[in-house]
Order: sequence, then structure tokens, then C-alpha cells
Amino acid sequence: MPEQRPAVPFRITEFAPSDIERRLEFVNLGPDDREHIVAVKPDVVDHLDEHVAAFFEHLNKFEESRGLTGRPELLEEARRLKREHLVAMVSGDYGRDYIEQRFQLGQVYSRAALEVSIFMGAFHALMSSIGRRIVSRFPAKPIDGFEHFTSIKKVAFFDIAIIVDAMMADREQTIRQQEEAIRELSTPTLQVRDGLLILPIIGLLDTQRAKQLTDSLLHAIRVHRARVVVMDITGVATVDSKVANHLIQTVEAAALMGASVIVTGVSAEVAQSLVTLGVDLGRIRTLGDLQGGLEEAERILGYSVVRGAGSFEPA
Amino acid sequence: MPVPILKQGQVLIASIQAALTDQDLLQLQDELAEKVGRFRSRGVIIDVTALDVMDSFATRTLRGIAATTRLRGAKTVVVGVQPDVAIAIVQLGLTLHGVATALDLEEGFELLKQSATWNRSL
Repeated sequence: MPEQRPAVPFRITEFAPSDIERRLEFVNLGPDDREHIVAVKPDVVDHLDEHVAAFFEHLNKFEESRGLTGRPELLEEARRLKREHLVAMVSGDYGRDYIEQRFQLGQVYSRAALEVSIFMGAFHALMSSIGRRIVSRFPAKPIDGFEHFTSIKKVAFFDIAIIVDAMMADREQTIRQQEEAIRELSTPTLQVRDGLLILPIIGLLDTQRAKQLTDSLLHAIRVHRARVVVMDITGVATVDSKVANHLIQTVEAAALMGASVIVTGVSAEVAQSLVTLGVDLGRIRTLGDLQGGLEEAERILGYSVVRGAGSFEPA
Repeated sequence: MPVPILKQGQVLIASIQAALTDQDLLQLQDELAEKVGRFRSRGVIIDVTALDVMDSFATRTLRGIAATTRLRGAKTVVVGVQPDVAIAIVQLGLTLHGVATALDLEEGFELLKQSATWNRSL
């Protein structure tokens, strides 16, 4: 999987001024809107507590937001950032600092495992609270109230996009780290005798993993000075021609390092499908199970295991 | 840069020190073919530890050397293929079939000692 630059900047440092401009264009925020926002500033700033309360009361209604509402320290931070948010929202300045604040808030939500869907509901409650204040300022001409509210809503949508991006970015990063961890864990190479390695393969074998597996095997061969490797594919559910090709390449690469590979654990289904596909594994030495593979490897290396009296005691 | 060829008992050791041109490879093939006869060698070890690339010409020449020396009565072992080189060779679809390989010089000697035709007076 080639590493590609994500479409959405992950960190505030990746936000160029042009990105911010572009995003403001996306929500169509013009000079009129900025005037409107200045005009209704008191409706937001003078009733901060009311608006913030609307947001968190909405969250309180749902069990799913316990991650935030049930954790006082996160909740406190979220409240503080939310207040700052509202003040900044009507300040008319939507530069880098503003974006950074949005990112912080998004990260708090993501730490609290707040679902985007609940967040959207709460944000809507907040906007309604603001909307009511603004519209009630223009009792004679509700359409003016609507126009003013629309201007501030543009900023709100600009914000939502950033906060959601921040929450997504955080989640994607977690997923990437986990994938990496699984990948690392999934291909151990174990030495069982001098010169004898076993390589149990479990799970799906894609191109990326096959490459990594070959790589780690070859390095293990060098480090352990292995002559024989037993590769057990019992845990590989399906083997298609692509996977078989990867296995052949691994075996041949190991042979170039002077190690011979024994493949074990080819199940009946896998064997059938390989034959049906016409994959030629003729150059690969295969044996039924891991035990058979180990015994063959020991024979090649000149080991002989003799069973004595033993000293087995039940624990 | 030509490859130095050392003689150790009945074994010839060609230790490649730097990247080789096609000309160097051909010269190595000629020299080994000639020296195997002159020293009545039974084994040839080609150490490629220093190589970080191996192209189709190199692998083909190594196969050629192995075939040539076999006809002259010596077994060729290529030793010291780096992991990355091994992966590259396989992915390029190249092969060293017919050429014995071993991890390093020491293992290469072991392999030669074990081969059936080996004269025990090494």
C-alpha cells in the first residue's frame, strides 16, 4: 500500500493559509456576512452560558456521550474551549489560531470517543439557541434575522468541517498504529534448534505482508545462521495463485541465502485449490504438518531426538 | 575492477569487492574456468557479500560459471547474498537454479565438504 498524502491535513501545521481561504470560500463567507456577524455579536457573547448549556444539555440526554459527560476533566476542558469557540466565532477573524482552537476541540471530542452523529445533534442545539436570540432581535423583519443567522451558520459549517476532520484524523491515526502493530506481531520467526527456524503464518497473506515476511525471514536467516526453515501455513485460510506466488518467491529468496525451506500445513482444501489453479509448487518441499516438517528438518541437519524415561509430573 | 581469486587447498575463492561491470564478470568466468583446471580444484566459492545489486547478466554469468566449473570437475557455491539482493533477484524473476548457495564463506566450505564427490584430504 503506497503511503499517500491524506486529502485532509492531519495537523494544524499542515494547514496552509491558502487551505483556510479555500475552506472559507467553500462555505461562501463574504464581506456581507462579516458585517452581519459583527452586528449580532452581542446576541452570542452576552448569552454565552445559555448557548454553551444548550450544547451540553443535549449531550447529557444521551447515554452514548458518557465518554465526555461522565469525565469531569474532559468536560471542563470542552466547556472552556466551547466558550472560547463562541467568542472567536463572532470575532470575524478566522485565521490559523482559530483553526488551531477547532483542532483542539476536535481532539477533546475524539479522546472522549464522542460519535460524530451525537456531536452534530448537540451542535445543532447550540445553533438553535443562538438562532433564537438573533431572530428575536428582528421582530419586525424575520427575514433579516434569518439573513444574519445564515451568516453565522456559514462559520458554523466551516467549523464543523474542521472539527470532524480532526476527529477523523485522530481515529485514522489510531487505526494506522494498530495495523502497524498487528503487522509486526503477525510474522514471528522462531529458532527451535541451531540452524533451524520455524515461521508460522497466520491470517491473510497480501502483497505487503508477504514482502515484509520475506524480508524478516531473510534477516532472521542471517542472524540465526539458519540452514533449514519450516514454514507452516496451517493458519492461512485461503491460498490463491497470488499468495502461492509470494510463497514461491519467499522460498527462492531463502534458497539464495543458502537456506532450504520446508512448507507444512497445506490443508486438503488449499491443496485442491492449488491443483485446480494449476500452480506449480513442484520446486517446493512440502510436508503434511508442522511435526513432519520439524522431523524432516532435524533429519537434514543431522539431529536425532531420542525419547528417554522423561520426568513428567502433573502440575 | 578485476576480481582477486585466492587458492585455499582444493578450493578457489573469488571475493568480489565492488560492483562489477559485465566485462569484469566475463573475465571472472574465463579465469575461473582456466584456474580450476590449472590447480585441479574441486570447489569454487564466489563471495558476493559486497554486492548490493545483481542484475540479469550477473545471475546468468553465475549460472554459467557453475555450469562451466562443473564440467571441469568443481562445484561452485555462491555465498553472501544479501537479503535485499535475494528479494530483488526473486522479484525480477531471475534465478540461480543449478548454483549452490550458502550463507557465508564458512557455510560455503561446509557445503563443499559435505558434497559427495569431495576429496577428504582437503
